[in-house]
Amino acid sequence: MAQDARGEVYDLLAARGVSRRDFLKYCGSVAALLGLSEMYAPQIAAAVESGAKLKPVLWIAQGLCTGCTESMAQSRTPDVPTVVLDILSVNYWETVMASAGSDALKAITETVDKGGYILIVEGSIMNGANGNTLRVGGRPGREDVKEAAKNADAIIAVGSCAVDGGWVKAAPNPAGATGVSEYLASVGISKPIINLPTCPVNPEWIVAMIVDVLLVGKLPALDSKGRPTLIYGSTIHDNCPRRGHFENGEFVEKFGTVEEKKQFCLYKVGCKGPQTYTNCPYVRWNDRVSWCVESGSPCIGCGNFNWVDNDAPFLTRTSNVKLPGIGGVAPSTVGAVLGGAAAVALGVHAVVSGTQGRVGKGGPPETEKAYDRKKAAKGGDK
Amino acid sequence: MANVVIDPVTRIEGHLRVEVKVDNGVVTDAWASGGLYRGLETVLQGRAPADAFYVAQRICGVCPISHGHAATMAAEGALKIKIPNNARIIRNIIEGAEMLHSHVLWFYTLTALDYVDVVSALKANIADTYALAEKAGTSTADFGAIQSRIKGFVENGQLSIFTNNWFGHSAYKLPPELNLIAVAHYLEALSIQAEAAQIIAIMGGKFPHFMTSLPGGTAWYPTEEKLDGVLFHFNRVKEFVEKAMIPDTLAIAPFYLDATTYGKGVGNYLAWGVFEDKSMDPKKRYLPPGVISGSLTVADADPKKIKEYVEHSWYTQSETGLNPAQGKTHMAFTDYNLDKQYSWVKAPRYDEKPMEVGPLSRMLVAYLSGNEKVKAIIDGTLAKLGAAGKPEILMSLLGRVAARNLEALYVVGLMGDWIGELIAAVKEGDSSFFVESSETEGDGAGLWEAPRGALGHWMSVKGGKIANYQVVTPSTWDMSSRDAKGVRGPLEEALVGAPIADPEKPLEALRIVHSFDP
Ligand code: SF4
Ligand code: SF4
Repeated sequence: MAQDARGEVYDLLAARGVSRRDFLKYCGSVAALLGLSEMYAPQIAAAVESGAKLKPVLWIAQGLCTGCTESMAQSRTPDVPTVVLDILSVNYWETVMASAGSDALKAITETVDKGGYILIVEGSIMNGANGNTLRVGGRPGREDVKEAAKNADAIIAVGSCAVDGGWVKAAPNPAGATGVSEYLASVGISKPIINLPTCPVNPEWIVAMIVDVLLVGKLPALDSKGRPTLIYGSTIHDNCPRRGHFENGEFVEKFGTVEEKKQFCLYKVGCKGPQTYTNCPYVRWNDRVSWCVESGSPCIGCGNFNWVDNDAPFLTRTSNVKLPGIGGVAPSTVGAVLGGAAAVALGVHAVVSGTQGRVGKGGPPETEKAYDRKKAAKGGDK
Repeated sequence: MANVVIDPVTRIEGHLRVEVKVDNGVVTDAWASGGLYRGLETVLQGRAPADAFYVAQRICGVCPISHGHAATMAAEGALKIKIPNNARIIRNIIEGAEMLHSHVLWFYTLTALDYVDVVSALKANIADTYALAEKAGTSTADFGAIQSRIKGFVENGQLSIFTNNWFGHSAYKLPPELNLIAVAHYLEALSIQAEAAQIIAIMGGKFPHFMTSLPGGTAWYPTEEKLDGVLFHFNRVKEFVEKAMIPDTLAIAPFYLDATTYGKGVGNYLAWGVFEDKSMDPKKRYLPPGVISGSLTVADADPKKIKEYVEHSWYTQSETGLNPAQGKTHMAFTDYNLDKQYSWVKAPRYDEKPMEVGPLSRMLVAYLSGNEKVKAIIDGTLAKLGAAGKPEILMSLLGRVAARNLEALYVVGLMGDWIGELIAAVKEGDSSFFVESSETEGDGAGLWEAPRGALGHWMSVKGGKIANYQVVTPSTWDMSSRDAKGVRGPLEEALVGAPIADPEKPLEALRIVHSFDP
């Protein structure tokens, strides 16, 4: 970057009360978030500084509960003022923007006309009643997504609802919900979309994606479902701190028991960790203070596609794990035979496909696993 | 003149359109149109009762705790479960943390920009700003740095979340120095709401959408380390509420005293009550249930007196006038027509009357029921604003805003007590957190409060599965469409009579909408 342009950037940052040192520190924490070493901090800085202009963002709300916006507001490193004032120009974000009504909507058109922005969509696309199950500005809300997708540099679907309709699409899908990818394809817009499922989205992932787009100027590595492999590459079960209890056959059989207090594995009370691909166990939530399993609840698989239909009843085991070439094996046995890392290397994506395409209210709850029977024969779990 | 329309109403949870008729600078009629239908009640049919806890909280990402608790209470009612005392305290703390989170977020992030002119803060004299902060007893910040941060921002021309703002409108009344203080706290509040949410994350796994208040009790076990974390975050929130939010409210209010003269609305108030006391008797809740209807007296609140009308909303027209326990929700979109149907929000009525719900309703019910702490807080504030002995001035726009912040002050006090109670219970060795039930049939209701008002979940269970589910959210009460008789809902009624200085920028109407925290 030319020296004068760089000077301009620092003037700008200084004017915003951000010192160069703070800025580099921030870039270091973003590097860590992206799974990069601190050595990348200068590169991240260069990318964020690549001009005196802040990257415009349109954050468009569809059939939502506002939980993903709320979740974004829980970001602490960087905090929200830094994100919306120093890194990005968030020209449209209904929940926080000063403007209202048609003046607010104007910001979408103005930004789209200029191009070069990131589009973030929160909430399900609502198709019921010809798109009128969501009305914004006197027309179906989905029109805003269509308009904003046109000139976007990158599109990020945040949260399970935007990814595939989320709980709103759960059977019988009364309001005709669907995800952003499916909707845009249906109106002839084919653009790659970054999918960030879980309900709500984890804010750290959004920040990582934004920086990634700013840093390398292109989309991060995505799997066949548009999910960044960095975040969705292994199961919760593979990284769960309770995994040792699982291997030892130490389970919570019921809530309110001493096993629960001992923080044994929650598999038998319905944990969906073995079939859910996210990095929740180590990115954790709310500035990393805790996460679902640590709080004592089984993972309900909110990061899965069609999660409510596939994972409910949540407090009952519904996993039906099959690995190619090994036959039907309980996850416990998989762990014992392969070890977590090897299972990933073998492409445990098959685990996911075992639970997909199921209709109705979830799969048949398991009565007893072969593994459990074996244990029972030996005198039961410890 | 054509109606003035705000669509979308921004800085709220969800999607709302507001349309007002303005004659000679005053609103003479109003319509509130909810923009979204998702069908949660239908999705839950046939599922396991405990699943309602996980799914129903996703109605609202700002108040998932309240929805989760109401869903769990409905299941516990149906399955005849009485939760252990520890679970009661833990739920109170989580619920209280959400209320503090929500009220801080509401006052600063969602509503402050209606009263605080960010651009005017550029004109503030820094020394005067410190002097004013000291006089107001509100916390200070690096006001100079904050001012130059805004300056850089405005000069750069990329206004981000302030794009196309209405700053400079004649209804902004604060002096530049007070604007600057408020902007500083606006920025700080974003960390404070996150601190409040961290209390929930420790006890519930994450926020929004938590994991632990399962029917039967709680899945969370307190440890010393976790309780330390809860206390740490709570103390930061408490300090902000006491030392910034309340003094800011008292400093800003005198500039907007005209807002005591409009925005009253229907004048009927309903609360189901929230925060269980040891007896688990709803009447003894820390914020009790009750109905105020037209006078300054409280009556018992009886859910059987609710009927939901759909004459002006997009649902099957024959399914109207039903009590939620037998309620039905089937969409039937027609068109946006103010004389016929114009909203996804039904029209719930209590004893055939529209009811305002929310912090003002709860605080009035508690005040008139003789709650000593609430009385002290309200009477003290009225005296400071020169309205001693006149609680009726709270029935206004300004009163609705102030009641929410005063409630935060009351809850800060309660939270400290509950955390102490939990620590004591654990020390005494009470290790009961969860009870099982083998029931498979029954009807239950979770009548509770979200930060934004009275919330009801109704569940029928047959053969171990949900046979019927209905929800009446606070926004259904407050953003209600007209009923079968054409009577306006609380927001619609509150808008009537409001001054509108500039129909292109109906800032005063926006204030009234935001005062309900939709
Ligand atoms: S089943 Fe759940 S609790 Fe048990 S080890 Fe796996 S992810 Fe952790
Ligand atoms: S741990 Fe499971 S339930 Fe919790 S956020 Fe991650 S995917 Fe969702």
